[in-house]
Amino acid sequence: MPKVKIPRKSTSVDMTAMCDVAFLLLTFFILTTKFRPSEAVTIDIPASTAQIPIPDKDIMMFQIAPDGRMFFGLDDQNTRLKLLDRLSTQYQLAFSEDQKKAFRLLETWGMDIRSLPEFLDMEPEKRAGFNQPGLNIDTTGGQHQVEDLILFSRQENNNLRIAIKGDKTTEYRHFDKLIQALQNRKVNKFNLITSAKTAQE
Amino acid sequence: MAEMTTSDSGSHKKGGKKVRSKKMSTRVDLTAMVDLGFLLITFFMLATTMNKPKTMEVNKPAKEDKEEVKEPPIKMSKTATLMLGARNKVYVYVSPDEIDATTEITLDSLDYSPTGLRKFIQRRQKEVQQQWGDKDQLFVMIKPLPASNVKNIVDVLDEMTINDVKRYAILEPNDPIDSLIALRTGQSRK
Repeated sequence: MPKVKIPRKSTSVDMTAMCDVAFLLLTFFILTTKFRPSEAVTIDIPASTAQIPIPDKDIMMFQIAPDGRMFFGLDDQNTRLKLLDRLSTQYQLAFSEDQKKAFRLLETWGMDIRSLPEFLDMEPEKRAGFNQPGLNIDTTGGQHQVEDLILFSRQENNNLRIAIKGDKTTEYRHFDKLIQALQNRKVNKFNLITSAKTAQE
Repeated sequence: MAEMTTSDSGSHKKGGKKVRSKKMSTRVDLTAMVDLGFLLITFFMLATTMNKPKTMEVNKPAKEDKEEVKEPPIKMSKTATLMLGARNKVYVYVSPDEIDATTEITLDSLDYSPTGLRKFIQRRQKEVQQQWGDKDQLFVMIKPLPASNVKNIVDVLDEMTINDVKRYAILEPNDPIDSLIALRTGQSRK
């Protein structure tokens, strides 16, 4: 019997293609991931069986902390700038270019509108650590700051949806103030942000 | 890992043979890189899908202008009123169509568990079904007291979805009965 020579095969596998695929996917996921924006305050949202996912854009977000402090945020940076312009005319505040730039990058904020310039002048690190007092919702002085925010933002972007993110333990009286403000501006429809859960029997 | 040594590497151990400088292969072992790539992919995949919160749509009845004609009042026997109070309690009552001095209203205090609030709503749906022939006639009035919290509201709205209650509204506690109840349960109305 003639001997059959079996050629010895190398066991090394070419990894190049696999590596390519891996990094392609990686790039895709990196680009599509939206990281949780820095929050002014930690909010523990309640769970519900609601199934509607939150829209990706055109969101006006109100956050209500357990102690009743209220924060405001717009998702679109251009709308933020337009809103700032409107606020500067309404409240006779002049904003410098640096302040505008800082405001454009501000995810959420909550303070009296008139103390905004001072806040925007702070160093970014200092701003992150600053304990914001919450929006001024008090209308006794004849000012309607929250209503102005709602009105101006909606005028600048017609498709804005209103989302309310309240902590589990936020009392209804704080929540009610915001709803009153919304209803004064003829907004009767809004979204409550909740986390998903399944109904228990 | 993907590569196995096929040549005998132990040869130069044996004797005093000359060590020849090996011709270096231009191949780079990509295994580690692929490992890292997939690790990161896994991370980003999990990070993207995990924190997508849901929303719950709330429609408030429009604030009525004073000139507007008031809607005809709904028959009280079709309704159920839920008052959300402090400490995760919900007070429920059903008021009869006509109220006079002798009317007695039973007030129950329930919790938000399936055995509490859900049982009540289902019972009420059955009653309305018997009386009006259609359980969707039930109208639930949700009246949060100031001391209740956001979780309570979400829970109640959730129960509406779970029990398929078609008609409900979040209202202010403005009835005289509401004040009475708020007083009795030791909670402020406003």
